Amino acid sequence: MAPRIPINPGLVEWSGDNPGIYLRDRPDGPFVTLALFFKVVLSPHGSGTAMLVLGAPDQAGTWPQRPNLMITDNQALARYLVDGFVVNMPTFRGKPALEGLAFLPLTSASTERQGQRHCERVCSADLVVEMVWDRPGVPFAVEVNPEQSATGTHQMYSIFVEAKVASVLIAGRRLAGIVTDRQLFGRTISTAFLAFSETWVKPVPA
Amino acid sequence: MPIGAPINPGRVCWTGENPGIMLKEQPDGPWSALALFFRVAWSPHGAGIALVLYEQPNRKESLPHCNNVVITDNQPMAQFLMADFVAKFGVFGEVPAFANMHYLPVTHASNSGDPVGNRYCEAVASDGLNVDLVWEQLGRPTAIEVPPELSGTGQHTMFSLLVESREAAIFVNGRRLAGAPQPREQAGLQTTTAFLYFAESWISG
Repeated sequence: MAPRIPINPGLVEWSGDNPGIYLRDRPDGPFVTLALFFKVVLSPHGSGTAMLVLGAPDQAGTWPQRPNLMITDNQALARYLVDGFVVNMPTFRGKPALEGLAFLPLTSASTERQGQRHCERVCSADLVVEMVWDRPGVPFAVEVNPEQSATGTHQMYSIFVEAKVASVLIAGRRLAGIVTDRQLFGRTISTAFLAFSETWVKPVPA
Repeated sequence: MPIGAPINPGRVCWTGENPGIMLKEQPDGPWSALALFFRVAWSPHGAGIALVLYEQPNRKESLPHCNNVVITDNQPMAQFLMADFVAKFGVFGEVPAFANMHYLPVTHASNSGDPVGNRYCEAVASDGLNVDLVWEQLGRPTAIEVPPELSGTGQHTMFSLLVESREAAIFVNGRRLAGAPQPREQAGLQTTTAFLYFAESWISG
C-alpha cells in the first residue's frame, strides 16, 4: 500500500454530489435506464445543477422523441461533465443516446427527503424529471486511484449510500428497469446510489 | 496521493460542507469572533444546515446579551455536531461561549459567489438576526486527507476540499465583527484561519 499523505498535490477538477440510478430489466440484462444527478459546488465552469437521464441509452435520439436528455442551469458545466467524465465511464461509454443529446434549461430544482426516501426533482418549464432513491444502506467512503476510477485518469473521493429501491420518472412516467447488483471493488452493491462529497482530482504527473 | 483500499472500512460519521472563520484583533491576542457553518448531506440525524456563531467567544453568555448562538434547521443534528465535533475542534470547544449556546431556527439561508473566483458568501438568518460570512482572496482548491492524529477531533480521519481565504469577515445585522484571519498550519500546510471546506467527510474506526 502506498503511504498516505495528507495534502494531495493534484488538480481538483470538480466537487459536489453525484448520485446515480442504473436500471436493468433483468439481473443479467443490459442497462435500460441510466441517470446521473450532479450538484456541483466547484468546477472550472462554476457551480450548478445537472440531471442526465438516458431512458433509451442504446438508441440515438433525444427528447422529446426519445427519453434521453440533460437538464441544467449551467450549460458549460454540464457539457464539461459529459465530455470529460460521463463519456469515459464504463456504464456510459459508447452509448448512442449521448450523441446529439438535448441540453434543456433548468427552471427549478428541489431536494425532498421523507423518511428513508430521497428525491431529486428538476424542471425545465413544464417538464418534470425525478430521481428517487429508497431503502438506503449504511454509508461508506471510497477513495480510488486513476486505475480504479470510472474515468481511468482521476483520483476520486466520495461517500456512497446504496439504495435497494429506485426509480426515474420523466413527466410522471416511470422509466423501465429495476435496481440490480453490481460489483464495486470486490463488494456487491446496488446499481442505485447516493454519492455525496465527491471530489475528482487530476494527479500530478509522476 | 494515497490510495490503499478503495473502500474505507471506517464508519462515516457525517459528510457535507464545513467552512469557517476565526478572527483576532492582534496576532497574540484572544479570538475576537468565530464562526463555523455546516451544510450536512448525511449524518445519523439527517441532513441540514447549522451556523455556529461566537460573536463574543470569551463571554459565557448567549442571548439576550450577545449572539453566541447556533442557527439550524435540524437541532438534533446540530447538537450532535456540537457535542461530538465542535467540542473537540480546539478553540471552538475551549472558549467560554461554547458552554452556553442558544439554538435558533433558520428562517433564511443562501450562498453566493464562486469558490474558484474572488469571493464566496454564506448568509443565514433567524428572524431578526442576519449573519453573513464572507471569504475573499481565495486560494487553490486542495484535496486533503487528514489522519486521526492530525484531525480536529484527534479521533477521526477527515477528507475535505480546502479553499483557503486570506481576507474574511463576519457580519451580524450588517455590522462587521472585529478581527482578521491569522496564519495557521494544518497537516503541514501553511494556511489561514479562514477556510472553505467542501466535500468534507469524517470517518471513525
